[in-house]
Amino acid sequence: MAPVDDGGGGEFPVGMKVLVVDDDPTCLAVLKRMLLECRYDATTCSQATRALTMLRENRRGYDVIISDVHMPDMDGFRLLELVGLEMDLPVIMMSADSRTDIVMKGIKHGACDYLIKPVRMEELKNIWQHVVRKKFNESKEHEHSGSLDDTDRTRPANNDNEYASSANDGADGSWKSQKKKRDKDEDDGELESGDPSSTSKKPRVVWSVELHQQFVNAVNHLGIDKAVPKKILELMNVPGLTRENVASHLQKFRLYLKRIAQHHAGIANPFCPPASNAKVGSLGGLDFQALAASGQIPPQALAALQDELLGRPTNSLVLPGRDQSSLRLAAVKGNKPHGEREIAFGQPIYKCQNNAYGAFPQSSPTVGGMPSFSAWPNNKLGMADSTGTLGSMSNSQNSNIVLHELQQQPDAMLSGTIHSLDVKPSGIVPSQSLNTFSTSEGLSPNQNTLMIPTQSSGFLAAMPPSMKHEPVLATSQPSSSLLGGIDLVNQASTSQSLMSTHGGLVNRNPNVIPSQGISTFQTTNNPYLVNPNSMGVGSKQQTGVLKTENSDTLSHSYGYLGGNTPPMDSCLLSSQSKNTQFGLLGQDDITGSWSPLPNIDSFGNTVGLSHPGSGSSSFQSSNVALGKLPDQGRGKNHGFVGKGTCIPSRFAVDEIESPPNNLSHSIGSSGDIMSPDIFGFSGQM
Amino acid sequence: MEYSNLRRQIVFMKKNLFDQGYLDEQFNQLEDLEDESSPNFLEEVVALFFKDSSRLLTNIEQATDKYPQDFYKLDSLVQQLKGSGSSIGALRMKNECSVFKANCNDRNLEGCRRSLQKIKREHATLKQKLESYFQLLRQVGPRDYAVSSRK
Repeated sequence: MAPVDDGGGGEFPVGMKVLVVDDDPTCLAVLKRMLLECRYDATTCSQATRALTMLRENRRGYDVIISDVHMPDMDGFRLLELVGLEMDLPVIMMSADSRTDIVMKGIKHGACDYLIKPVRMEELKNIWQHVVRKKFNESKEHEHSGSLDDTDRTRPANNDNEYASSANDGADGSWKSQKKKRDKDEDDGELESGDPSSTSKKPRVVWSVELHQQFVNAVNHLGIDKAVPKKILELMNVPGLTRENVASHLQKFRLYLKRIAQHHAGIANPFCPPASNAKVGSLGGLDFQALAASGQIPPQALAALQDELLGRPTNSLVLPGRDQSSLRLAAVKGNKPHGEREIAFGQPIYKCQNNAYGAFPQSSPTVGGMPSFSAWPNNKLGMADSTGTLGSMSNSQNSNIVLHELQQQPDAMLSGTIHSLDVKPSGIVPSQSLNTFSTSEGLSPNQNTLMIPTQSSGFLAAMPPSMKHEPVLATSQPSSSLLGGIDLVNQASTSQSLMSTHGGLVNRNPNVIPSQGISTFQTTNNPYLVNPNSMGVGSKQQTGVLKTENSDTLSHSYGYLGGNTPPMDSCLLSSQSKNTQFGLLGQDDITGSWSPLPNIDSFGNTVGLSHPGSGSSSFQSSNVALGKLPDQGRGKNHGFVGKGTCIPSRFAVDEIESPPNNLSHSIGSSGDIMSPDIFGFSGQM
Repeated sequence: MEYSNLRRQIVFMKKNLFDQGYLDEQFNQLEDLEDESSPNFLEEVVALFFKDSSRLLTNIEQATDKYPQDFYKLDSLVQQLKGSGSSIGALRMKNECSVFKANCNDRNLEGCRRSLQKIKREHATLKQKLESYFQLLRQVGPRDYAVSSRK
């Protein structure tokens, strides 16, 4: 909303980038003149296909699209549909045809408005509301779904990568507020940018993705209706993977499919944030495939997802929407581990896919992540500083430890990650984070829990790690409440986190954050914050809380983490609670695979920022983070730390990171505004 | 003065165009959009409209001969003309287009042909009237024109 506020206030509508598509030269000329009179930045295009190309080449170049319904080369509704799938931009349909059924068709296809020709100045003067409204809605979604997105957005700002970022940025671009955020973000982004490029794509998903791919393949082989955990496990034949892990993952997967199906139905919704899209896109591939397999996913959606997976920018829009929803769901479910997971799942999938595709393999190597460890300390310090807050240097250290543990507990992390991946959906993250946190909590129980919530959304991907971090954050607030209120906390934190992520949200978050999650909110920043918090939390809340509330969640998380974590965990986790967590994590390995991707994305954003998400952070950061974190300091540090810590997990995560970056970008755009806020928080921290 | 005379003529001519239903408020909106940066915006858009609408009318005429039963196509073509005409405030043309579309909806080819002839008449009449109108405006000159247009 920040954008809205900023924009609404003064210059916002001025310079809003409008793309007008109409085959009628007269209408085009009139509209262009009118839009200029409204002080918009108008671009005209007489062919729908060319408009689509322009949009695909420069998603960020436009804030809103006005399209004629009847065009020879492409039906306006088709264009509307593609734009809805590939970019998250508000589309206004126009036609001299005012028949109710035609107008209704436009609405059903996702048009945010339908103007009857002749279009009048009074109507054009007001179209900026659709841009703001979309952003606002996105923010809401983000809030629910996850801080991860937000974090992602903030970070990515610089990266501006392809997918999500473009869309968000584009929308935001025109806004000063957003610009401001961007500027702020840029700092982080710059720091990250160097690393992300190298790290982000590769490391992330590979690991998780592969695992998830195996899972999907097994499910496809068996048939979604006949797939049972035991058989899937047999087909996957992955050492260390447990039936519980598979069962958990399967549950999430089913929810994810269901969600996707629902989303498709409602794809029209403009909510999806660019960032989300990006993430989704990446993850989407897998999920989409799965969905496709199941037959639940709409053809278009699938195509879009596939495109995204392939790296196409256009699709992002659709995914985001899904992610968001996922996020929301996650947020809602957040309280319940399963629910969250599921939610996360949906979203994660998108992200996961991306990650998975690229990075997972690398992720595994994550070993690279280990290096991060060294970084961690620094990060921690940074965190502490940023967190300042807390004073929690010691805490932070603890957190660090936790993180380390997490990192060390690669498996755990991974599992966490995996969860995250599953969770991907930012929304999930929160819940996952909660879970994760719980797991983390195992390590640093209380803290983790708390932390998780905050980061969760943002960090979803990183969830596990983030979760841990988050716990810390959480701790700062309500450690105990965390347990009892873990859900609450998570929700709150998530919501806050989300908020932060989203511009509008961010503002809110700040409020909330301050107490807990400020650090978290910082998102990327959060991560930072989170870490600090986490640290603090960890020490404070510790397991007790985490365990209690998390118990369910945690167990789940753990389960997830466990699978993966065990190996890695041992090292990292060893420090403390992690063992417990590990156990939990270990179980979920399967999920873990998912999470990794999602996490990664989230992490990308989150991770970089938040160590907490260490897992996530690690993921992203490991590559990126390390380099960047130092520079950026807080945020980066976290990221770095996260990376380091999480590295194992992160390996997978790393790949994810890129997504995060994307997300961040997107977030940045939408979240640009937020970023500033976040930063502010960080500063506070 | 000659100037005030011209100005009165312009006002009178425009009023007639509105009173007789040739134009609607959209035309005024376009005129209000003229400023120093685009002093001849209205005339340019109107010229663009007549150029494009002539092409469209030809297409429609051919379609009624070649695809007399393809009412969807006819409707689509007339829809374009209607949207284009409405953009400059060509009210009577727009109304005739609506009649044409109604005939398409009734699958009344004869009705369509009659409507097309009326559309063409309205098109030609409007074109002639607007040309006269802009000619007067040009006589007034850019500055005066700008003043008069803004009144």
